[in-house]
Amino acid sequence: MRIIFSNILAIYRRELQGYFASPLAYTIAGVFWLLAGFFFINLLNAYNLGSLQADTTGNTTPLDVPYLFLQAFLGVLSSVALFLLPILSMGLYAEERKRGTLELLATSPVTNWAVALAKLLAVVTFFATMVLPLLVYEAIVFGATTPPMNWNVILLGHLGLLLLAAAVLSLGMFISSLTDSTILAAVFTFGLVLFLWIVELVGQRLGGPIGNALSHLSLLKHFNNLTQGIVDSSSLVLFASYIVLGLFLTAQSVDAFRFQRS
Amino acid sequence: MIEVEHLSKSYGSTTAIEDVTFAVEPGEILGFLGPNGAGKTTTMRILTGYLPASAGTAKVAGFEVHENSMAVRQRIGYLPESPPLYPEMTIEGFLHFVARIKGVSAGDRAERVQIALERCGLSDRPKTMIRKLSKGYRQRVGIAQAIVHDPPVIVLDEPTVGLDPRQIIEVRNLIKNLAGDHTVILSTHILPEVSMTCSRVAIINKGKIVATNSPDALMTDLMGGDGYNIELEGDVTDLLPLLSKLPGVKSLEAATAAVPEGRSQWHVFTQPGVDIGRTLAATIVGAGVGLYEMRRVRASLEDVFLQLTTAESTEAESTDSVPLDAEPEASDAEPTAGET
Repeated sequence: MRIIFSNILAIYRRELQGYFASPLAYTIAGVFWLLAGFFFINLLNAYNLGSLQADTTGNTTPLDVPYLFLQAFLGVLSSVALFLLPILSMGLYAEERKRGTLELLATSPVTNWAVALAKLLAVVTFFATMVLPLLVYEAIVFGATTPPMNWNVILLGHLGLLLLAAAVLSLGMFISSLTDSTILAAVFTFGLVLFLWIVELVGQRLGGPIGNALSHLSLLKHFNNLTQGIVDSSSLVLFASYIVLGLFLTAQSVDAFRFQRS
Repeated sequence: MIEVEHLSKSYGSTTAIEDVTFAVEPGEILGFLGPNGAGKTTTMRILTGYLPASAGTAKVAGFEVHENSMAVRQRIGYLPESPPLYPEMTIEGFLHFVARIKGVSAGDRAERVQIALERCGLSDRPKTMIRKLSKGYRQRVGIAQAIVHDPPVIVLDEPTVGLDPRQIIEVRNLIKNLAGDHTVILSTHILPEVSMTCSRVAIINKGKIVATNSPDALMTDLMGGDGYNIELEGDVTDLLPLLSKLPGVKSLEAATAAVPEGRSQWHVFTQPGVDIGRTLAATIVGAGVGLYEMRRVRASLEDVFLQLTTAESTEAESTDSVPLDAEPEASDAEPTAGET
């Protein structure tokens, strides 16, 4: 057990090191920060204006502007992430396959599960470091609200973002393990994630029990729950299921790849 | 140390290796020789636990490679065909990483990495990024990662490919130094490499082991030693049957070397222990054919290799090698019925 943990740690550290040495990772982080900053200012202005207008027109329906703003901002972040996460996950296995290092990992005393878990943890950690700086300017804005905001809601929203990212990255990792082309992995992951994003709409269209079941699979729906400060265990279970499914399929596909390769 | 019994592997309908059986004693260097696509890499991948075998068993240090995969993986160092390297890491960082996942304890790690660096001639640049290394240095790092955890068994798939001649010598010396403490299997299609580094050779062709022995024994046993190269001028149609019936002549084959107009070159293979030089020359001269060259050739590992790995085509040609009505050049140019 200690050996497995030590192996996971070794691969985790190597992966993280890889991200911090990779120009692509910095580019993704840069783009993410740029877009996040832009939308942050934009939304902030829009909501300020909105609340001012509400005041002047004498609208008496109370608006909880900070919470609405948080929800909108996290929504935007999740959409940006939808585009960027497949790029983060595309190389997880495809690169290893291309460079032949998968053969090193597969002939080392490390299980497929440990490798997959370490890789997922590393890429989620990288995403978390991408989100971390945003918390600084959120703290500045939300710290100025009266009445003060409930920090638990803010943290829960970001936890939701991380869970969403972990689910997407886990599935992306599986797709990455199917091919040695990173581009192909990114495109397929994007397609799959987009489908899971909008599957709620598809489900509603279909209706009936199948439609219901489908819409329950939607990533967006469960993510929105969390950003509203609702801790729904079904949402947590759904994200956890996606993560475990991704890990399981990855471990299986690496095995299958070894069985059938010519 | 390594026992392989009746090992077979097929991918779908194609058979990569079939009924491969061999054993390697502790401290030995076994050279795995065969043309490209003969099944060398497949056999090595099964030994390292990367591929499962379709049938048969392979044991490394007493552990079955598939059932006890983790135990085997700890005891084996493996250099695949292309060295598995992370370009963004430094040499030292990479070796530390490999030592870790191979289960070297934290206390021994620094020392093991240092030893591997020194053995592979990398100790002058441990902090260099792998991305910036030349092919030769990458190959060395590949070997270093295979020995960093001090495994009892080392499997090297074409360790000298892509190196310059000086580096090849260095790598061969390195491999020789590994013997004794380690059991080494290396694959190659370069023949001199085997006779220089290996204590035993297994020749594999089309997925089957065709011979296992020491390089010297292979040469004497299989080729029976000697033969002659002769270059003739004139009409040889009457002479050739005579030559092939000479006592001590095993076979007669047309050589492929380019010769001047009107001449032809032939290989005469002789039985072991018989020297037919005198009768051979007398017969040729007696038949009134011009003898321009007669050179004695000793079997090389190359001949053994070619003979073993092209057995089918030489059989087909040998019926043809004494053409009665055709010029030798013509028989070379036209595909024979046996080959098509």
